[in-house]
Amino acid sequence: MGPLAAAPRSPPNVAVRVIPLVRDLAARALDTAQVRGASYADARFVHREVEEGHIRNGHPEALSRHDAAGLSVRAIADGAWGFAASQILTATEADRIAAQAVAIARASALVKALPVRLAPVTPVVATYRTPVEIDPFTVPFGERMNLLLRADRAMRTVPGLRTTRASFEVWRETKHFASLEGARIDQVLVETGCGIEAEAVGHGEMQRRSYPNSGARHQNTGGWEFVLRQDLVGQAPRIAEEAVALLTAKPCPRDVRTSVILAGNQVALQVHESCGHPIELDRALGSEAAFAGTSFLTPACLDTFRYGSEHVNIQIDSILPGGLGTFGFDDEGVPASQGWAVKEGRFVGYLMSRETAAALGRAPNGTMRADGWARLPLIRMTNVSLMPGPWRLADLIADTDDGILMDTNRSWSIDDRRLNFQFGTEIAWEIKGGKLGPVLRNATYTGLTPEFWRSCDAVCGPADWVMWGTPNCGKGQPGQSAHTGHGAAPARFRGVRVGVMR
Amino acid sequence: MTPRGPGVFGEEALRDACARALHATEGDQAEALVVGRTQALTRFANNAIHQNVASTGADLRIRVVRGKRVAAVWTNRLDPEGLAEAARRAGELAGLAPENPEWPGLPAGGHGADVAGYVEATATTPPEVRARLAARICDPVRAAGLRAAGYVATAVSEVAVASTLGTWAYHAGSVAEVQVVAIGDGGSAYADRVAADLGALDPEAAATEAITAARRAQAPRDVGPGTYEVVLLPYAVADVVEFLGSELTGLAVEEGHSFVAGRLGERVTGEAVTLTEDPCDRDGLPRGFDFEGVPTARLTLIESGLARAVVHDSQTAARARAANTGHALASETPHPLPMHLRLEPGSAASPEALVRGVRRGILVTRFWYTRWVHPLRTVVTGMTRDGTFWIEDGEIAYPIKSLRFTQSYHEALTGVIAMTRTLKLQRLDLWDFDAGSIRVPAVHLGAFEFTG
Repeated sequence: MGPLAAAPRSPPNVAVRVIPLVRDLAARALDTAQVRGASYADARFVHREVEEGHIRNGHPEALSRHDAAGLSVRAIADGAWGFAASQILTATEADRIAAQAVAIARASALVKALPVRLAPVTPVVATYRTPVEIDPFTVPFGERMNLLLRADRAMRTVPGLRTTRASFEVWRETKHFASLEGARIDQVLVETGCGIEAEAVGHGEMQRRSYPNSGARHQNTGGWEFVLRQDLVGQAPRIAEEAVALLTAKPCPRDVRTSVILAGNQVALQVHESCGHPIELDRALGSEAAFAGTSFLTPACLDTFRYGSEHVNIQIDSILPGGLGTFGFDDEGVPASQGWAVKEGRFVGYLMSRETAAALGRAPNGTMRADGWARLPLIRMTNVSLMPGPWRLADLIADTDDGILMDTNRSWSIDDRRLNFQFGTEIAWEIKGGKLGPVLRNATYTGLTPEFWRSCDAVCGPADWVMWGTPNCGKGQPGQSAHTGHGAAPARFRGVRVGVMR
Repeated sequence: MTPRGPGVFGEEALRDACARALHATEGDQAEALVVGRTQALTRFANNAIHQNVASTGADLRIRVVRGKRVAAVWTNRLDPEGLAEAARRAGELAGLAPENPEWPGLPAGGHGADVAGYVEATATTPPEVRARLAARICDPVRAAGLRAAGYVATAVSEVAVASTLGTWAYHAGSVAEVQVVAIGDGGSAYADRVAADLGALDPEAAATEAITAARRAQAPRDVGPGTYEVVLLPYAVADVVEFLGSELTGLAVEEGHSFVAGRLGERVTGEAVTLTEDPCDRDGLPRGFDFEGVPTARLTLIESGLARAVVHDSQTAARARAANTGHALASETPHPLPMHLRLEPGSAASPEALVRGVRRGILVTRFWYTRWVHPLRTVVTGMTRDGTFWIEDGEIAYPIKSLRFTQSYHEALTGVIAMTRTLKLQRLDLWDFDAGSIRVPAVHLGAFEFTG
C-alpha cells in the first residue's frame, strides 16, 4: 500500500482502497491515448467526499454525505486538446475515454490556430497530504450537529429574528495524477468549513448577519480544529443582535466620497474579484472572453503597470497553511510555489498554466485546478493574498477622522474586464474623529480597480491577518466551482464612492 | 448499464438502480433520486477551438427517514455494491441525525415517463459535428475582421425518482446550444441559440446576429449615469425573470425576503406583466415533475401585474399549510424554485420595432455579473455587456461603453411600455445541470437606473 493508506486517524475509505486499481487504470488510459496518437496525455482520478450538516430555526434541515469518483483523460493530438471523463472505473471504460479524448482532440484540430505548446515541468513521483490536527471525518456526526444546534440556540436568545442558520462542511479529495511524461502524484486534500447566519425582518427591511463570513461559511484546508477556533457559539449572540439592530439603523450616506476601512473578509473578496481574476493569464489571452471575460491587465502591463499604492503587496501562493489553494501539486503536476502578483503596487505576475506560460515565455506557477473528476483543469486562483502591513485595526480607526468601516460581504459585482466593481456589506459603522459611531445599513461602495487600490494608504498587520476562503468561485464552460484562499487584513482606502443604492 | 429507449442511462437502468438502493435501505421511508448529466462542449476563442470536453455521469441520492430523523447520501457508484453501501450509510446517518419536528414525511408523487424533449441525434452528436458547427461560426466572424469566442454544446439531462411510497418518475431531455461573442478592438456583441434538437439550431444566424451588432459596437462613447428608457433584448430580460422567480417561492415568503410577501393579490408590476410557470411548455425544455417526483403545477405567478402565487416543495408547503406545487430542487436544504418561467409576450413585431418607440434611451444586449443588493426590494446590480447602444429618435445612434446599473427589477417592470410577440428560449442552468428553461420577449421599459 502507498503512503495514502497510512492516514493518521483516518479510517479506511473507498478511495484509499481503490488507489492501486486507479493507478493501473490511469496507466492503461495513458497507454491507450499514446497508441491512438496522443503526443501528450495526462490522466486524473478524483474521489471527492463531502459531509455537511445544516440547522435552520433550531431544527436539522439536512445531514448528508456525498461520494463522487471518476477518471479523466486530457490529450493533445494533431496539436489540439481533447478531454473525456467517466465515473465507471473499469479497464474498458479507461480505454474508451482515452480514445474519446484523442478523437475529440483531432476534432479540435479542425478549427485550430497554432499547435499547443506546453512549458516544461519536471515530472515527479510524489505524495502530499493536507496536515490536520483533528480529522474532521472522524468527529462523530452527533458532535458536529450539536455544535451547530448550540450556535443556533445562542443566536435565538436574541429576540426579533426571523430566520437562523448554522452549517458545517467537511471535504476530502483523494487524487491521482499521471502523465505520459512520467509524473505519478497522489494527494489527499482536506477542507473544513462552518458558518452561522441570523436574519431579521421588519420596518420594511430584511437584514442578515453572517459569521465568520458570508456565503454560508468560512473554510480552510485543515481539520475540525478550524471549526473549534471560530467559536460559533460565543459569537452567535453578537451576530444576532447586529441583525436586529440593522433593521432600524441609519442608512449608509448616499453618493458621497469618503475614507473606507474594509474588514479583512471584505478585503479578501476585493482581492479575489479585482486582483485574483484579472491576473488569470487565460483571461488576459482571451480564452474566457465569451463567459468569465478578459482582463484589463494585458501582457503589456506586466512589470510596468501601477496597480496600487506602495502599500499593496499581493502574493500568489499555494504553500501557506490553511489556504484553500494550498496543495502539493496542481492538476498538471506543477509543484506548489510562492510568488508575487503585485509588489509594492506594481503588477509583476500572472496565474499561469503550462500552456499560457509558454505563450509568455515564463515558467508555470502551478495554478491549474479542476472541479472534481469530470472537469478540465483551468487556471484558478490558489491563495491570492494581500500581505500584512504595519497597522493595528484600532490604530487605523483612531487615525481616521471621517469614514466608514464596512464588514462582511453582502453583494458583489464586477465587469468582465475586472475594472468597474460595486460591493455591498452586511454591516457598517460610521467613523467620526477616530471613533466608531452608529451602525449603518445597506452600505455599498463602488470604484475602478487601479484607482481604488492606488487609494490604499494603510494595511493592517499579522495580528489582524486571516487566511479567508472562497469555496464557490465560478469559471469555465461547462461551469466549474473552485475553492480559493485569500489572506487579508483590514485596509483603508481614501476618497471612495459610497452609497450607490437609493 | 445498457441504455434501452430514450436517454443515456435510460429509464429501465435507472429504475433498477433506484430499486436496488431502496431495497437495501432500512428505515420508515426512503427515496432514491438520480440526476444524470451527459455533456459535450466544444469551446472556442480567438477563432479557434481551445477546450473540447465530454463527460458522462449520474449521481444517486438516497434519502432515509426514521421517524423525524432524515439523512441523505449521494453516490456516483451505481453498481449493486455501491448502491448498497450508500443505502447502508444513509440509514446509519439517519439514526445519528437530530429529530426535525417540522419534517412532514416524504411526498407521494409519480409521473409517467417524460421523454418528449429527448432527441437521440442530439444526444449522440460526434465531436466532428460540433467542431464543424464551431467553424461555421468562427469562419464568418473571422471574415468580418472580428474574433469569435463561444461554444457549441450538446447535453442530455436525466432525472429519476422512486420512493417506498410508490413514487416513480423519469425524465430524459436533450439540449443543444450555440453561443458566440464577436469581438473587435473597440467593442463586442453577443448571440445565442438554444433548442432540444441540434438540427433546429441555426449557427449562421447566431453568427450573423453577433457580427452585425459587433460592427455597430466599435468605438463606443461614454454616457453618464442616470435613469434612462431602455430596450432589453431577451438575453437581459431572462436575467430579470430569473431573479424575480427566485423570490416567488414559499421559502422567500416564509423568511420574509420576497417582494410578494404579504402582498398576494396586490399590484407588484405593471399591468402588461404576466409571469407564468409552465413546466410542460413544449416550446421550452419541459419536465413535468420536480426532484421529489411530484408533478409540477402550471401556475400564474404574476397576472396582469398582480401577485398571484408562489411555488412550494413538500417541506415549505407543509410549513405554510399550502399545496405542494412540485417545485423541489435537488438542493441540500429545501429550496423550491420555478424552473419553467415564461414572461407572456406583447405585440411588437421585433426588438427593432421596440427601438422605434424610443426617443432617447439605451439598448441593452445582455447583463453580466448580476447580484442582489437588496432582495426584499429586488434591487440588483450588474453590468451591461457585449453590445450597449444609445437610441435617438427611434434608431440606434451609436455604441456606448458598458454601464453599471443598480435597479429594483420588479419596479422596473412597473414601467413596461411594450414587448415583442416572439419569445426567446434560454436554459436554466443550476449547478451545471439543465434544470429547466426561461422564455421571454424583448422588453421596452420606461425607466432603468444606471449608476456608473
